[in-house]
Amino acid sequence: MNQPSARRRRTGYLFCLPGMAFLALFLAYPLLYNVWTSVHDVDLGQLLGGAERFNGLDNYRTVADDPAFWHSVRLSLVFTLGSLLLQFTIGFALALLFARPFPFNGLLRSLLLVAWLLPPVVSGTLFRWMLDAESGAYNALFQAVGLSGLSHDWLTDPSTSMAGVVFANVWVGVPFNMLLLLVGLHTIDPELHEAAAIDGASAGQRFRHITLPLMRPVSVTVLLLGLLYTFKVFDLVFVMTGGGPVDATRVLSLYVYEVFFSFFRFGQGAAAGLLLLVVPLLAGVWYVRRLRREDEAPAGGAV
Amino acid sequence: MSYPLDRRGFLRASGATAAAAGLGAGAAMTSCSSDTSGPVTLEWWDYFTLDNFQPGMNRLIKDIEAGVPAVRIERRTFPFAELERQITLGAISGDLPDLAIVDNVAMNTLGSSRLLADLTARVKKWGQADQYYKGPWEGCQVGGKTLGIPNNSNCLALYCNTRMLKSAGVEPPTTWDELASAAQKLTSGDRYGLALSAINTEEGVFQFLPFLWQAGGDLDTFSTYGATALTFLDELIAKGSLSEQCVGWTQQDVNTRFLNQRAAMQINGPWQIPTLKKAAFDWNVVALPRDKEAATCLGGENWVVMANSKHVDKAWEVLEYTQRPSVLVPYLVAFGELPARKDLADRGSWASDPALRLFLSQLPLARPRQYGPHYTEASQAIAEAEQAVLTGSASPSAAARTAAVKIDKALSAQ
Repeated sequence: MNQPSARRRRTGYLFCLPGMAFLALFLAYPLLYNVWTSVHDVDLGQLLGGAERFNGLDNYRTVADDPAFWHSVRLSLVFTLGSLLLQFTIGFALALLFARPFPFNGLLRSLLLVAWLLPPVVSGTLFRWMLDAESGAYNALFQAVGLSGLSHDWLTDPSTSMAGVVFANVWVGVPFNMLLLLVGLHTIDPELHEAAAIDGASAGQRFRHITLPLMRPVSVTVLLLGLLYTFKVFDLVFVMTGGGPVDATRVLSLYVYEVFFSFFRFGQGAAAGLLLLVVPLLAGVWYVRRLRREDEAPAGGAV
Repeated sequence: MSYPLDRRGFLRASGATAAAAGLGAGAAMTSCSSDTSGPVTLEWWDYFTLDNFQPGMNRLIKDIEAGVPAVRIERRTFPFAELERQITLGAISGDLPDLAIVDNVAMNTLGSSRLLADLTARVKKWGQADQYYKGPWEGCQVGGKTLGIPNNSNCLALYCNTRMLKSAGVEPPTTWDELASAAQKLTSGDRYGLALSAINTEEGVFQFLPFLWQAGGDLDTFSTYGATALTFLDELIAKGSLSEQCVGWTQQDVNTRFLNQRAAMQINGPWQIPTLKKAAFDWNVVALPRDKEAATCLGGENWVVMANSKHVDKAWEVLEYTQRPSVLVPYLVAFGELPARKDLADRGSWASDPALRLFLSQLPLARPRQYGPHYTEASQAIAEAEQAVLTGSASPSAAARTAAVKIDKALSAQ
């Protein structure tokens, strides 16, 4: 039984075939086509006539020379880091809260999940309305509780519109973070905490020395998933601000979309689109290598 | 016309049948108009998805199928923002209609794409070109060719809340100075004197261009006259007569402010009239106030025939048929739109309805946004300049200068 026979192996490959075909058609082909497009001069007319001209790295150069591209890269980083930091911290706090029993725990938890289940277009539209300066719920709320100093044209002021979309994205992301972190918390053996408490460790010390280290693998996964989702975000920002005001929220995905579908510069769009792929790809590679290292670590090694 | 093989080879090798079909369609481009006898099915795309457009559209199609011999229409609709993109994607996949009704501003990109059939010879033989208003007709001419014919036309004008103007003792403004002072007098509490759309899309640019033209400028003189127009709007905001929020408003949002009586005047198009007729207050429409000259921006749709259609002659026959007054007038009335034809000025609802009449009277002034294949890039630069000024992040002259550089680059690029 140790060595599968050649026939068995062949059967195994056969079962993989549909999956491979699917990946080839829907992942590899578009990706390769995108790479091909990124090294050609392609606009609408050339696309139709089949007269695309190979232009080497010209598209990449044009994109790299475009200040708007770098501006959008910076915005994407701000959006991603801001969102990750906030939704992870708030998600962690909520997970700690929901890890202990209290009345309506389950009900509240499922209600929170609704936020995550909503399509981004819906939550984006809702936040657009709620953050509206004149008729939005938030400013009305601030005024009602005597904090009218806080009411503001969040989304139409270039200096605060990024904060507005990050706020909405955090709201969307918190329940997901909370859920995964809560599952992680449940895997920690309560006896560890009990033993530490008997040894005289305070709650803060137990959190720092038991909970946090044991939550590392889950946290890394949560942050990675968050990064993948957040870095490529399109719908939420598109619906809320369309990249504006001016270009204050034109993150990388919106920039790529514009180059493709407003300007029809397909070659440059493909080049910028590939760069959009780089950050999540690097993060993914790092994660997979890290997993492998952990698997290879000798049993009983450092926790 | 011959095509290099590299792309073809690449696509064939990758076995994408859809893409291969696209090439087939591309190759068919050169040998179009091979109409055969027997009923012909024409595929037709448009973006009139709202319920209230359907009766008029169904009637038009029924009319065509009854009036044009041996033709069937197969209609597909897309959301407004999707149609042009679908046509672009269709160019790759080979899935394109025979006929389409596209936004007139789309002629900039589509016109230079080789996607549209050249109707010049057919139009010449038809001999009705001079029946159209200048703006709508010019909007269909790209590079000396006729690539479409107008479907309907609209433009912008100034709506006034009659009671508010009367109680403030303000006459409907006819010049920029009058507009500024009227807007200021009409501003009180949470009510703004004027509402307009300055959103960072083509919609905002559609509303901004009249100011640029009224100042006496155009895209090629943006650094001077763009600054004049931007300064004017900036001052309206500084005086509180115009909400800074307008940088996020679509024209629909603007109309909502006007309907809620939170704006005494608004700049908008005739498509708002059906909604405004249900308003609980009186309003009227006047021409956009002038500065150095009077100007307004042309909106509306054009008919186009796709170059790869196998039935260009039949499609043209359909277009010709739709331009008969007996077909066109009921269609436009059902849509609440204006004709692009001068000879229809005294027929249909626009002949008697004062608001529609005003819009129709502005059509001869309406300018198409006809600036070539890279207009969208110029348009984005204009939108950004306007947003930067109105949100206070740049001065009008600095914003106009920055935009002018981008505009010049976009307009000179080929």
